[in-house]
Formats: sequence, C-alpha cells, structure tokens
Amino acid sequence: MPEEYLVAQDLHKSFNEHKAVNGVSFAIHKGEIFGLLGPNGAGKTTTIRMLSTVLEPDQGDVTIGGHSMKREADAVRNLIGVCPQELALYVELGALDNLVFFGRMAGLSSQEAKEQAKTHLALVGLEERGKGRIDKFSGGMKRRVNLAVALMGHPELLFLDEPTVGIDPQSRNNIYETIEGLRDKGMTILYTTHYMEEADRLCDRIAIMDGGQIIALDTPHELKAQIGPPEQVTLEDVFLKLTGRSLRD
Amino acid sequence: MIQPRLVWLIALKDLKLFIRDRLALFFFILFPFMFVVMFNFIYAGVGSEDDRLVFHLVTLEEETETALSYQIIAAIETPDESALQPGESQVVREDDYDELRRQVEDKELGGFLAFPVDFSEGIYMGRGAEIEVVADAEAVSYRAALYGLADGISSWIGANNVVEKAISELAKEQAPAILESIIEALGGQLIAGEPLIEYTSEKVGEVEAEQPSNFVIPGYLVMFVFFAAALSSEAIVRERQNHTLERILASSVRRFTIIGGIFTGTATKGLVQMIIFWAVGILAFNIDLGIAPAAVIILSFLMVIVSASFGVMLATLVKTDRGAGSIATLAALIMAPLGGCWWPLFITPQWMQFLSKVTPHGWANEGFNKLMLFGADFADVAPEMLALVIFTIIFGSIAVWRFRTAAG
Repeated sequence: MPEEYLVAQDLHKSFNEHKAVNGVSFAIHKGEIFGLLGPNGAGKTTTIRMLSTVLEPDQGDVTIGGHSMKREADAVRNLIGVCPQELALYVELGALDNLVFFGRMAGLSSQEAKEQAKTHLALVGLEERGKGRIDKFSGGMKRRVNLAVALMGHPELLFLDEPTVGIDPQSRNNIYETIEGLRDKGMTILYTTHYMEEADRLCDRIAIMDGGQIIALDTPHELKAQIGPPEQVTLEDVFLKLTGRSLRD
Repeated sequence: MIQPRLVWLIALKDLKLFIRDRLALFFFILFPFMFVVMFNFIYAGVGSEDDRLVFHLVTLEEETETALSYQIIAAIETPDESALQPGESQVVREDDYDELRRQVEDKELGGFLAFPVDFSEGIYMGRGAEIEVVADAEAVSYRAALYGLADGISSWIGANNVVEKAISELAKEQAPAILESIIEALGGQLIAGEPLIEYTSEKVGEVEAEQPSNFVIPGYLVMFVFFAAALSSEAIVRERQNHTLERILASSVRRFTIIGGIFTGTATKGLVQMIIFWAVGILAFNIDLGIAPAAVIILSFLMVIVSASFGVMLATLVKTDRGAGSIATLAALIMAPLGGCWWPLFITPQWMQFLSKVTPHGWANEGFNKLMLFGADFADVAPEMLALVIFTIIFGSIAVWRFRTAAG
C-alpha cells in the first residue's frame, strides 16, 4: 500500500455565512501528482490555502509528512512549496532576486539560495533571464518564475494552483515537463487546473470538488470508466456529468 | 517569536523595491528640498521686522515735565519705527492705563509696564518706587521681556540714586551749600528739558533675522517622513493582494516576523530620509541644531518610528491599495499644516497650537522649535518625546491587532 504523505481529515472553512469547504477528507500518496478539479467557487483554492498553512481550518486537521498542521505548523512549512494561482512575485525585482528572497525566507543561506535559484531558473528555461525584471517578462515567463519560486528549498510536497492559466503552449509545455520531471524525482504534487486534458496527462489520481465537498476521487481512467468506455470518454465529460452544465460565477 | 534575520531580509527587500522606484525616490528625497528652498525664501523675514517685540509703557503720574516716568519713557520710546533694525524692539508710549489693562484681559495685548502715580516722588524722596508689570499669564516670553525691561529701568535709577545719595552725604559733611547747588543744578537740568536718565543702545554685532531653515527643514522632514511611511501602506496592501505576504507566511516565516520586517523596512526608509534631510540642512542651509543635537536626532528618530507605525496600521485598516494611497495622501496633507509643518506653530493662534497636539506632527515640530529656535535642552523636550512614544504604541498596537496577510 502506498505511503500517505498528506492526509486531510474533515476540513471545514466558512467565510461569514458561506461554507467554502464543507467536510473535505482525502489522502495524497508520496510521489504522486494528485489533481484537484472543480468549477469556480468549488472550494479548491480555499482547500489549498488551508493545506499550505496560510488559512486556519474552522474544523479538521491536516497531516503532512507525519506532522500535524495544528501542532507543528513550522515543521509542515519546511516540507511544502506553494505556487499560488496569482503571480505572487515582486515584479519590480529581477527573477533571480525573487528566487533568492523566497529561498532566504524558506531558511536557505545566501549561498544556497543563489545556487538553487540558478538551478530552478534553468529548470524552467530562464537561466539567461535571471537579472531581468519580472514586469518586463511575458505572461508565460512570469508563470515559470512563479513555479521556480515554489521549488526553492527543495520542498517534498508542492502545491500548484492553476499554474498554467493564460499562457502560450510553449510555456505550458515547459511547465508540464518540469512537473513530470519533479514527479520522477519523487516529489509529491497537488495540482489544480481547469484544463481537463492537462489533468488527464499529468495526474495519477483526481478529486473532483463541488459545493465545498469532494464528489469523486479516483484515477483518470476509473473516473472515465464510471460514465462509459474510457477510450471514448474524456475527463471533461466526467467533469460536466458530475458538476452539471449550469454556469458558475 | 520574531526571527530577526528574516525581519532584516524583508526590510532589505522593501528598501530594494524603494530604490528601484525612481519616482518614489524623487518624490521623497529630492522633491521636499524644492519646498524647503521655496519656504526658506518665503519665511526669510520671520523673526525680524514682522516679529518685532513691542513694549507698551504708560504712566499714571500727572503730566508735568519734571515727572521722572515721563523722562524715562521719553528717553527710551522709539521715535521712528521705520528706522529700527531687524531684531530691535520698539517702545511705545501709551496714555490709557484702563484700556491697556482691558486689552491684556482680552488677550489682545501680551502686557505693558506702568509707572505709579507717586513714582517720581518715591524716587526723589529715596524711599523707592515700584514699576507695575501687567502681563497675560499665558504670554510667558513676553512677560519675561517686560520683567527684563523693568529690571533695566530700576537698576538704572538705582545707580543714579546711589550717586545722588553719595553726593548728599558728602554735602552734609562738607557744606550744605554744595548740596543746594547740586540739587539746584539737577533741578535746572530737568527744567531745561534734558533727560535725567540717558538711554543709549549699543549694537553688538549684526542683528540677524531668525534663520527660516531652522523651522522649515524640521517641518518638511516631519511632513515627508510621515508622507512616505503613510504611502508605504499602499505597497503593503498590494503585497497582500498579490499574495506575496501569504507566500512568505507559507515559507516558515511567522506573522510577527512579517510585521516586524515591514515595519523595519518602512522605518529604514524614514531613517535614510532623516539622514539626508539633516545632512543637507547642516551642509547647505547651515541650520543650527541648538544646544542639544542629540535630542534633535532622537526626536527625528521617534518621528520616523511613529510614521512607520502609522503606515503599517493604515495598511491593516484598508482593503485596496488605491484606498491606502488616497487615505495616506489625505492624512499627510491634513496633518502637515495642522501640525505646523508648513508654518511655524509659534506664529499660529493659541487654539491652533492646541489643535496641533492631536497629530504627531504637532508634537515633533514643537520639540524641534524648542530645540532649534528657543535654546531648549534635552529635558525640555521630554514631553514631546513621550507623546511620540505614545502615538507609536497606539498605532503599533492597532497594526499588530489588525494585521493580516490575505486580501479580503
């Protein structure tokens, strides 16, 4: 049986009267890419924010690498890397400056941070652009820097919240290859996206959320098999069948 | 609880962002000196003619040419105001004691000197006389000046009396006729209209007008240090909106460390401004830090700390960066004139001086004025320093209580 690296138990989170996450439980195996899919407002980002310790759950707990988030938040933070949906970067600074700064925040020495920054910039194909200011970069380059920052400190678990939104196919492909390379090195990844073919290509298992709850969890093949022959059904068909065709805001 | 190394790294990052922002550098480092030069020019006359000390003197003696008080007033009153040099005081002879008293009671006049009805008699008879100093209790400086004038007059008369008495004693021993002739001679002088008391004014060196940069530079230091810190709230809110603060929080950095880093960064920018202001002030404007330069530096430092606390607090109270920018600008532009940054507080009415105390600017400027204009020492500005510490505690407490890393 695969080792459970992240275990979320009965997570709840409300904002005023709105229940954003309502009793979410799941486990992510070590070394897998776990997809978290759902329409807008399903609770994916709130779940990731709780898993990455920046938002405290109203109820429930998360264990990462054997450490309880409630009791050992610092130990949990040492194990994780976060690539948020937004470009959480200092756009007035250079790419290298951003990576070094967040590396130092992750506890690296100056030398370690510089070395890792160069390695990760090379990984996302930006080794020649390290000194360039982020606000001069294209959307795809910014996304790749956003991902590279999440890798600083060599986290064991990586949260990727829609890392390929609004970028060109070349940059998207670079990100796919980077993520697959990280999985091959044994990194555990939680991945959210609205692109179904992306989830189908990358994810070992997928959880579909709606209304703050997980409504399905299995491998892409098994999810497709639930509604028809997997060869003839797409993940998007599964998604629409489970979450409905009504528009979400 | 706080991670000092990370605090400093966050502060350094903020400084780096500040240095990269050329517009901010211009606005908060160079731009203030345009104001300083302009207002230095505008206030060039303050402390000279416009700020002339005017003494009002009145006598209750009957108007006779021999009345000593008339002689004194005639000797020292200013014959032609237009001939006065900058810094010279003016002496005005008044006639209506009751009217002067009413003006003092109504705070229209700081005070006046009055010679009593028996002044000449008291002096001539050797039993002495009193000069009445009538002054507004709140006009401390003016009252002190009146006392100084009264002391000057009385010691002058005292010296003459001693001479007169010495002559009298000598005359008693040697010949009563000599006494008679001296008294006659003195009487003759008075009758001839020549003043018994001569008043001479010796001008020692050049009387200079108050150097405006001594209050213009501290005023604009206070204004722009506060303005820059308040506007840094905009950047803090932007960090919250683009999730960089959350990203820092997710990388083993504690909440208090983030607050400490932001505060240190904002305060460090203020310290850089402060150093540049004083360096330029001393080197280019020849400002005088007074007898307690250390107090000037500490007061500046406290103003920097207050401003940084305000900036962080403001960031915690608003939701958008645009809101932060608007409120910061509004707060800076209201508090600056109210707190005496655009004009010296001591030329403003009493109620305005009182109102200035609701702002940290008012306390800081009052402290700077005391130290750099009125010769105060360290202990004299302790209340101003304490007030700034209290403002820091209030702003800082709200900032810590309300601080959040996420938008919304």
